[in-house]
Amino acid sequence: MVSTANSTSQYSTNRSCMKKFLALLIVAGLAAVTGCSKSSESSPGGSKKLTVALLPKSKGNAYFISCRKGADKAAKELGIDLIFDGPTDPDPAKQNEIVDNWITLGVDAIAAACENKEGISTALRKARAKGVKVITYDADALPDAREFFVNQATPQGIGYALMDETARLCGNEGEFAVITGSLTAANQIEWRKYVEERRAAQYPNMKLVAVRPCDDLKDKAQSEATALLSAYPNLKLILSTTSLGVPGAAEAVKQAGKTGQVKVIGLGLPSENRRYVKEGVTDSVILWKTEDLGYLTVYAADALARGTLKPGAKSIKAGSLGEFEIQGDNIMLGKPFVFNKDNIDQFDF
Amino acid sequence: MAAPTNNPKSGGWRTILFRHETILLLVLVLEWFYFNSVGPRFGSLDNTYDILRHSVEIGLLALVMTPIILTGGIDLSVGSLLGLCAILFGKLWRDAGLSPAMAGIWTLGIGALAGGLNATLITWLRLPPLIITLGTYSLFRGLAEAITHGADTFTNFPASFLFLGQERWLGIPAQAPIFVAVAVAVWLLVHRTTFGRSFRAIGFAPKGARYAGIPVERRIALVYVLAGIVAALAAIIYTARLGQAKADAGTGYELFAITAVVLGGTSIFGGVGSVHGTLLGVAAIAVLNNGLVHARQPREVAGMLTGALLLLALSGSVVPKMLTTLWSRRQTPPASIQPTEAA
Repeated sequence: MVSTANSTSQYSTNRSCMKKFLALLIVAGLAAVTGCSKSSESSPGGSKKLTVALLPKSKGNAYFISCRKGADKAAKELGIDLIFDGPTDPDPAKQNEIVDNWITLGVDAIAAACENKEGISTALRKARAKGVKVITYDADALPDAREFFVNQATPQGIGYALMDETARLCGNEGEFAVITGSLTAANQIEWRKYVEERRAAQYPNMKLVAVRPCDDLKDKAQSEATALLSAYPNLKLILSTTSLGVPGAAEAVKQAGKTGQVKVIGLGLPSENRRYVKEGVTDSVILWKTEDLGYLTVYAADALARGTLKPGAKSIKAGSLGEFEIQGDNIMLGKPFVFNKDNIDQFDF
Repeated sequence: MAAPTNNPKSGGWRTILFRHETILLLVLVLEWFYFNSVGPRFGSLDNTYDILRHSVEIGLLALVMTPIILTGGIDLSVGSLLGLCAILFGKLWRDAGLSPAMAGIWTLGIGALAGGLNATLITWLRLPPLIITLGTYSLFRGLAEAITHGADTFTNFPASFLFLGQERWLGIPAQAPIFVAVAVAVWLLVHRTTFGRSFRAIGFAPKGARYAGIPVERRIALVYVLAGIVAALAAIIYTARLGQAKADAGTGYELFAITAVVLGGTSIFGGVGSVHGTLLGVAAIAVLNNGLVHARQPREVAGMLTGALLLLALSGSVVPKMLTTLWSRRQTPPASIQPTEAA
């Protein structure tokens, strides 16, 4: 660096000034560190309020907002602090980051709905290693990363509920068709297996005439349903095992002018189907009560943190909802719920 | 320091105080004190390490984004490249049977190749980097999704590899030394070599740089290849931290990196900026994100405050500069040579 004597001296004062300033900042920072470590030692007192942290897959999702409603209610009844936080953007690492933050924050229990099964398990295992109680709900992590999974519905429960509702609407006899997400999707295959099992056992006069895939697209479901309507004139009901298939099939029935003549039911969100349910095209939508899922999850997390819920337990009591069965390490929410014209307005997810 | 105030010599302390990095440092210290007062565990060592651990990948991308933006360019493809490298790393390890170390070396090579693709297209086609990297942004992510069909994920990595992302080495997060090494290397490259000076020259005036005999194409190619390699490194660390490689890894990271660089005082038009500014920018955002959790504030506030911080810091560094200029006009300082570099 070439410079005149004058500028060198100015340059060095410039630098030493900055050094002093930086030194001051560092000293202030260090003072704060030591100050804080003292205060953090003294804070954990005897009768501390329990803190349960609830992690949704994503925060803006109506499904999880509705879970939160139930969770808030449970937290109020139990007198605990509830933190509800989750990713707002589609960054898959965010859930891990949030869990890590909760560990340092010192929450007592974490209840997670897992977007990345294996990915989040590393963070949940770490939480368990640090003494935080971990349960999962809605979507499970790896079994060794949590103590319990609040299972909203078993494939059997879903399959049986769908078939029972189908038979009820058809008067226990006649032809029906199924619209599925894809022919290879594992969960859909399993649900159909239980639909068939129930049909064979309980409703031998019902006949499944066709299974059509819709690739989880509403307009594909609509064209498949239209084709079904013309191919099977005696069709009494279309059952969709995928959520976007229900409004798709409903639209097809409506446009074909067969409202009431061919019924539509399926697995789906009340919000996506409200219009058709009210118009009488779709008879019922089957899902679980998401509020109850949130409610039960918080009760389970609380019981686990207090030590009243232990591995091997056979049941758990959750406030106003009463007893829930535990199968292995799965806390069962119970039978799916049927949304129809009479009750669909009470649900906004 | 390359802050081009008209008269940087007017009153030593004032220039230092009004320097962008200083203001950012103050903001960081204020943030720190505030969150420390509301969150009892915010200042703990554990939490400090958490902040560090979570900001390494974006920090790495921001570090290599700095020389790119200094040349007046931009690289939108680094986040997608992180995703592509993460799943290729997984493929090399699981399907090709390589050890994590070997797979890592290959992945770095792939990162260099991908960066080379950006560099070649930008220097040969002479198209704006914004457009080229917008293309590779989709290309790299699309490749990652095509290779995994959007569904395949890579997990069950050996513990020795996960150590890099999840454990501590000599008491500090294992990925921290790597980050520090890259930070020092990039700092030296930008602030202590003729390369660094040529990046700024290119950013100020590409034609001028060419007339001055700087091999503009080769210098530009260098920064994009560097970005590719470091994006691959970030992918490996990301995979080790999550224990999972999936095609959606690093979604949106390019924008976080650019935000940190701009917050750190680097001009988006090129020519002006510093690596330590970028580091402060990364830290300011990371502390804000983490601190809000400790203040028990909802996460969506973080986005809002990051935006506000960015706008404030940018205007905050312009206003004092204007004041300094006014002040120096009144004082008519002695003409002197501006110190070219200052840490």
